[in-house]
Amino acid sequence: MKYLYVYPEKCTGCRECSIACSLSKFGECNPKKGAVTIVRDEFNRYEFPIVCFQCEDPVCLKFCHQNAYQIKDGIVIRDEDRCVGCRLCAVLCPYNAVTTIDNEIIKCDLCDGDPKCVKYCSTEAIQYLEETLELEKRRKKMAEKFLEINKK
Amino acid sequence: MLNRKLGIINLSKKKVIIKKTPDSLKKLFLGGRGLNSYYLYKMIKTGIDPFSPDNVLIFGTGFLTGTLVPNSSRFNVSAKSPETGILGDANCGGYFAAELRYAGFDRVIILGKAKKPTYLYITDGIIEIKDAKDYWGMDTTEVQQTLKKDLGQVEAAVCGVAGENLVRFACVRTGVKNAAGRCGLGAVMGSKHLKAVVARGTQGINIAHPEKMLEIVEELKEYIMNSKVSSILGSVGTPFLYEVSNTLGAIRTKNSQLNAWSESLNADVVETFVDKMIGCSSCIIHCRHRNKLGGEGPEYTAVGLLGANLGIIDPAHVIELNNICNELGLDISSSGTILGWAFELYEKGIINKKMVGEELRFGDFELVKRLLYKISRREDFGNILAESTKNVERFSKKSEDYLIAIKGLPQSDPHDCRYIKAFALGIATSSRGADHLRSRPTLEIFLRLPQEVRERIYGKGVPNDPTSYETKEKTVYFSDNIFATIDCLGICKFICHGFNSPHFVDYTWMKKLIYCASDWHFKEKDIQEIGKRVIDIERMFNNREGISRKDDTLPKRYFDRPMPLKVAKGHHIDRKEFNNLLSRYYKLRGWDEDGQVRKERVKELEALK
Repeated sequence: MKYLYVYPEKCTGCRECSIACSLSKFGECNPKKGAVTIVRDEFNRYEFPIVCFQCEDPVCLKFCHQNAYQIKDGIVIRDEDRCVGCRLCAVLCPYNAVTTIDNEIIKCDLCDGDPKCVKYCSTEAIQYLEETLELEKRRKKMAEKFLEINKK
Repeated sequence: MLNRKLGIINLSKKKVIIKKTPDSLKKLFLGGRGLNSYYLYKMIKTGIDPFSPDNVLIFGTGFLTGTLVPNSSRFNVSAKSPETGILGDANCGGYFAAELRYAGFDRVIILGKAKKPTYLYITDGIIEIKDAKDYWGMDTTEVQQTLKKDLGQVEAAVCGVAGENLVRFACVRTGVKNAAGRCGLGAVMGSKHLKAVVARGTQGINIAHPEKMLEIVEELKEYIMNSKVSSILGSVGTPFLYEVSNTLGAIRTKNSQLNAWSESLNADVVETFVDKMIGCSSCIIHCRHRNKLGGEGPEYTAVGLLGANLGIIDPAHVIELNNICNELGLDISSSGTILGWAFELYEKGIINKKMVGEELRFGDFELVKRLLYKISRREDFGNILAESTKNVERFSKKSEDYLIAIKGLPQSDPHDCRYIKAFALGIATSSRGADHLRSRPTLEIFLRLPQEVRERIYGKGVPNDPTSYETKEKTVYFSDNIFATIDCLGICKFICHGFNSPHFVDYTWMKKLIYCASDWHFKEKDIQEIGKRVIDIERMFNNREGISRKDDTLPKRYFDRPMPLKVAKGHHIDRKEFNNLLSRYYKLRGWDEDGQVRKERVKELEALK
């Protein structure tokens, strides 16, 4: 199974990933409407891509009262027809990977195996890779850090 | 795509008008620099004092700014320049321009003068005039960080202490180091009591053909990323140009008394100070160095003008001076040129200790640091230096012979233009004064460029000899036009055809990009007309302010003193050859022998709306 892996040390902050995502999903260029978010602060000197982890036990799925979420081939998919737009998933996602803007809920679906964010990144800061033990370890560590921050 | 608005803000009357820019005008000028120059010509009365409320200050984004199009991060800040008294215009990257568009605006035009410190807060279609009392007096980083603390994830274009104090070469800053650097536009902000333009928006830019844009950008990205220049710029940034010029013997050194300097400032040394290379919005080149000394940079201009031109050898010192200029909001090009000039004048006894207050000398890092602070606060001799090239009157007529400036604008390019003749013509005719980012035919420096490539770009008969004057008007004409067009589109010159590479975004690419974004069908030759139109309207502005052939000249030293070192040794600019070259350039432009835009053309362009 292939997933998105991020390499913040390679991220330049440019947001081509988010803009490509919003353009492909909504026909508009808007980094705030992409399923990838670049958290960046040039004064505090960091750039960090936030992508959906496609969790094994996803909060978005677990708490959705419309059962709009399902896991299909390892990807957490939101069924637009079932979704009533309550935004609970966006509120609850501990990684801020599900977001909401303009009455839209934005959730990564890996673009049917051809993720635009990866395609338009010029530094390989986001990669779409077959999961390996090592990669998963790195990703879990990242996730734990997020959770730690969330608890604070 | 075309639903962004135009905001007109009168600070004296505290009034905001929100309008739509007519599509007809966008089809003629696209946006960015072109539309800014159109509005300046229409709205500024001849002869006004640039520091008076009559000056018009414009922040204008490019036609494609904020889209997926690579490197579409740019905007132009324009006004009548307090440094030169003619057209003032500066192009800038970063994240502000994209944010301004997401906030619903293409362009804001600022009129009048606020009674007290003010900033503009622009969010999703709304413009508010707000009190900036708490921000006045802050350096460029502090004010941006405080604004973020107070308002959230905003992007801001600000002036520093130098702008508040009306230093004639104060810049407009956004982010850590992006600057609309040239022409003293930060001081125009200061004169209007405008500390910042702040934007935050959630409105996406609708694209006419999203699939098509995804497809074309994928192709373009592939094409650009495969070029050698892209990877060099992405790993060491512009400082790589230092070595290129230095090897030739064309690095302005100690106010152009010399033409070569230390290898200690080479890109491989600068690289050791880099923490990470980062990019502007939508950038695929990422030439910005986050340095280990707390700032960003240095660019080639800083390496040359705060290094070689001031006789400074230590790269850490150059980077620190670069960071200081950015903090204070000073234009690095003018700072390095004006200081180098003052140092030589002091050495030659043209200015003395009585006026200066202390001894001036090249190679003194602490002295430069002190003077930069003093300039920004207009203290002591800093108050005099803050007047930039206007000091010719104070320092004596003779001082002008040593000044590396044209039309009152200190030369930005650290390249000594006595060797490459096309560079000389470029800085002599550029619409804002001595500047390399308007029309420098950079490819002239690449001596091994195949002749057929050269001729395909510039036209038949352009010789592969940078020291020849023959047909060099064609290289400047081509560059001036296409760079103006890329400035209208809001795309960075680093991916513009003919700037750093013989490839990249040319008129064919532009046509495709404009079409997928807006559904507008342009012919390539229509796009070429846009650049020419911009150059002509900028010239009309300058003609109106008294600019003519007599002003399209070079620093005296470039004519009269042959270069002393290296490959370039013995080269200078021949007055007669230069004059002929200038005449040929005017002819190509359709200007008259005196460098005036012809009456019919003036009439034609004035009628546009």
